[in-house]
Amino acid sequence: MALIALILLPAIGGFVAFFIAGRGERERWVTIATFALMLVLLMAIVAGAPEGRWYAKVSYPWVPSFGISLDFAMDGLSAALIAISAGLGIISVMASWSEIRTQSGLFHACLCWTVAATIGVFLSFDLLIFAFFWEAMLVPAFTLIAVWGHGDREGAALKFLIFNAVAGFGLLAAAFALASMADHMTFSAFELAEMKLSTSVQVWMLLGFSLAFLVKLSVPPFHAWLPEAHTLAPTAGSILLAGILLKTGAYGLFRFAPMLFPQGLEAVAPYGIALGAAGALYGGLVACGQNDAKRLVAYTSIAHMSIVLMGIAAGVHYAVAGAAVEMIAHSFSASALFLLIGALYERTHTRDLRQLGGLQQIAPRFAAAFALFCSALLALPGTANFVGEALVVVGIFQVNWVFALLALSTLVVSVIYATRLLKGLVFGQPRLGAPVADLTWREYGPVLAMGLATLVIGLYPQSLLALLEPAIKAALVLPQP
Amino acid sequence: MTAAQFAALSPLIALAIAAVAAMMLVPLARIEAAQAAAAAGLVAAVTLVLLRIGAPSAPLGALFTDDGIARFGVAYVCLASLGALIFLRTGHPAKEAPSLLVLVALGAATLAGAGHAATLFLGIEIISLSLIALFAYRLTRQGLEAAYKFLVMSGLASAALLLGTALIYAETGALDFTGWTGHGALAALGTALLLAGLAFKFSLAPFHMWTPDAFEAAPASAAALAGVVSKAAVALVLLRLFLTAHLPEPVWSSGLAALGVASVVVGNLLALRQPQLPRMLGYSTIAHSGYIALILASGAPRVAEAVLFYLAVYAPAMLGVLCVSAALGRAPTLYDLHGLIKRRPLEAIALSLSLLSLAGLPAAGGFIGKLYLLHVLVDRGLWTLLAITVAGASLGFYYYARFFTAPFFGHLHEEAEPLPRLDQGLIAVCVVLIILFGVAPAVLIDVVRLALP
Repeated sequence: MALIALILLPAIGGFVAFFIAGRGERERWVTIATFALMLVLLMAIVAGAPEGRWYAKVSYPWVPSFGISLDFAMDGLSAALIAISAGLGIISVMASWSEIRTQSGLFHACLCWTVAATIGVFLSFDLLIFAFFWEAMLVPAFTLIAVWGHGDREGAALKFLIFNAVAGFGLLAAAFALASMADHMTFSAFELAEMKLSTSVQVWMLLGFSLAFLVKLSVPPFHAWLPEAHTLAPTAGSILLAGILLKTGAYGLFRFAPMLFPQGLEAVAPYGIALGAAGALYGGLVACGQNDAKRLVAYTSIAHMSIVLMGIAAGVHYAVAGAAVEMIAHSFSASALFLLIGALYERTHTRDLRQLGGLQQIAPRFAAAFALFCSALLALPGTANFVGEALVVVGIFQVNWVFALLALSTLVVSVIYATRLLKGLVFGQPRLGAPVADLTWREYGPVLAMGLATLVIGLYPQSLLALLEPAIKAALVLPQP
Repeated sequence: MTAAQFAALSPLIALAIAAVAAMMLVPLARIEAAQAAAAAGLVAAVTLVLLRIGAPSAPLGALFTDDGIARFGVAYVCLASLGALIFLRTGHPAKEAPSLLVLVALGAATLAGAGHAATLFLGIEIISLSLIALFAYRLTRQGLEAAYKFLVMSGLASAALLLGTALIYAETGALDFTGWTGHGALAALGTALLLAGLAFKFSLAPFHMWTPDAFEAAPASAAALAGVVSKAAVALVLLRLFLTAHLPEPVWSSGLAALGVASVVVGNLLALRQPQLPRMLGYSTIAHSGYIALILASGAPRVAEAVLFYLAVYAPAMLGVLCVSAALGRAPTLYDLHGLIKRRPLEAIALSLSLLSLAGLPAAGGFIGKLYLLHVLVDRGLWTLLAITVAGASLGFYYYARFFTAPFFGHLHEEAEPLPRLDQGLIAVCVVLIILFGVAPAVLIDVVRLALP
């Protein structure tokens, strides 16, 4: 029941925010309170959890005639991602405090609903409910981009919706095909995992599921929606997109591919690693050529999500653990960068690296935050991203050294774009005529929190790895070296 | 006539009395009186059906059947007609309109219980003749064009239907559906003609030509009657033929599948670049007919359940959009919808939610409807049809998205009158139903199961 409350809470909070919006900042505080309540509830669930992998597990019938039930379960991975969702929810509200002035009620409702649907994705173990939340999260996220975005926001939002909705339909069809193979109709992943399927069937099913996951993960060539969606979205939209929406793709792959199709995943693993390596190189190289700071970070998301794909496909303990850590690390670093660039854009009305610069002289808090997260972007030791990427590379070395060299070369590329971002924004002489106001407490607080998380995970990764260990163990499919 | 028979036919009788009463009131009283008579008849018919839930079927001879599906159909068409009646009041209709509307409901209710070629033809003709007048009552050039197109094609369709029935009769010697068990060439040809005639009413491609014109030029309430009431009635006839008749299997299944595929492809493709809401709806309703035809063509064990469910989630979505469209004046385009959320939030949200449901996105009832469609296709392993459905529905996302987002952009260009209370009530009911069916589909499934044999 508590798990359902975890989904219902933001869903209802969204309605409340929508209806009480008006003069004052009521809807913002309601939204923040909703997410804070979620965090409290989450902690209560984790604190009261029984021994074993699952902190909580429930199952209620929803449409019994189809074998669809509300199968929810939470382990360390889900808990971590839900905590991040709620945390980034609060941060999104704070980051958009001065940016969003029109239709604030609808805006905060969409924030809440996006988070509600995402949490549904992180908790569902019934494939149909999973697909339900998967598609449900598109609509509020779409609205966020379409209504409060910049530039050609309608085009970007439509592209986002169509890519993801179509891929989601693939997921739905594959789920149906899988359910129809069971001896009695069921969509429960736990029951479907018991089925003995031939490898070729598993590969086909995996491809159906992966279509949705890879589009959301935005691994090339499925990434075409991402740069525009990220660049043109409002700051809060970019934070949620990078911080949690991309993670649903990684999560789906991480959770269901090894669980349902272990032999299938083993069979396609080399292609997965190769696709990931190519994507990481491509995303990194294109990022190097961007002048728009937000677009640059958007392309680095493609690169980092491709590294996650490599880790999952490699299937060995180090690599899978690395992928899990990288998922979480990227949430902090990319979201923080989007927040900072959004704040900078509000002040200067430009994101062009050629027009900005010299922040260290005029806005030291800005500069310090940028420096920290650019180091995270290039995976400097001491940051969470280093732990993730290093583990992935080590893991891939155990599988195949050629791929490992490719993975290493992507790290080199990341140094180029991170320093380019740093140089364009922080160092050099200020190129803008007007002074830039430094970060306000509403902006600095979230940045500090995310920076702290990045450093804590980077310096003491064991805390996070222990939390994720059961989920990582379950995702290992290849014979371990 | 026994009491049981009278009870079974009482909804039809109530509708007939209401139609005549509304007609009589035309010269005597204001249009409100005719509307009240029509509403009273529709409400009475629904009440009479609901009172008989669970009652055993009455023996009605060959012409009518009195099973769960028929009762479901009568309640459905009366409720949908009631919705159409509510927004018939906007836009100054002719005084005869309420009477015609009840006649459409009567024809549709006849079709829902039709078990015989005579009632089939009777129902179809009652609907067609009333619809022509409803399409044309504004006497604008476009309205007349739509009515004329419908008239000509309706005549052709009726001819095909009659000839088809005659050929089937020639082979089987029966006119009631249960006796249609032919396998020869005559029956095959007859089935093809029958399907063509019904496909016209169901606006299946390539017999769909009248649909977009009617949606564009006709009053929204007439479009609702054509797009929801008469369509559902024809779907129920097809369902009954599927359940009771044994028409030549290859012609029936592959014919329906071909019509379904053509409609999904044509409807979705032509809707893609339509800037006008009613016209887009016209094409999308063709696609939806295609989906229902594909459900029927699959021949899976749960066809009946799937068709009834699909119809039930389709009606509130379509009525919701059409009601908002009627409130915005004639044929609103994308441009007219801009900024609707700021001035008229209820309508904007109802419009967006209804379109979401038609697109089949979750939290709206349409999603579960799509699940049923996928389910029957996967159940029978019809992978090609599944691929076409997925492709068509994906195209659907594009054009629905253009419309359901439009209210959130820009500014309202033209100030429209605020909606009357009743219309607001109808919109609210549609919204509640769409969400209820999407979030707790088990409720509706139970209702549908109740209607199944």
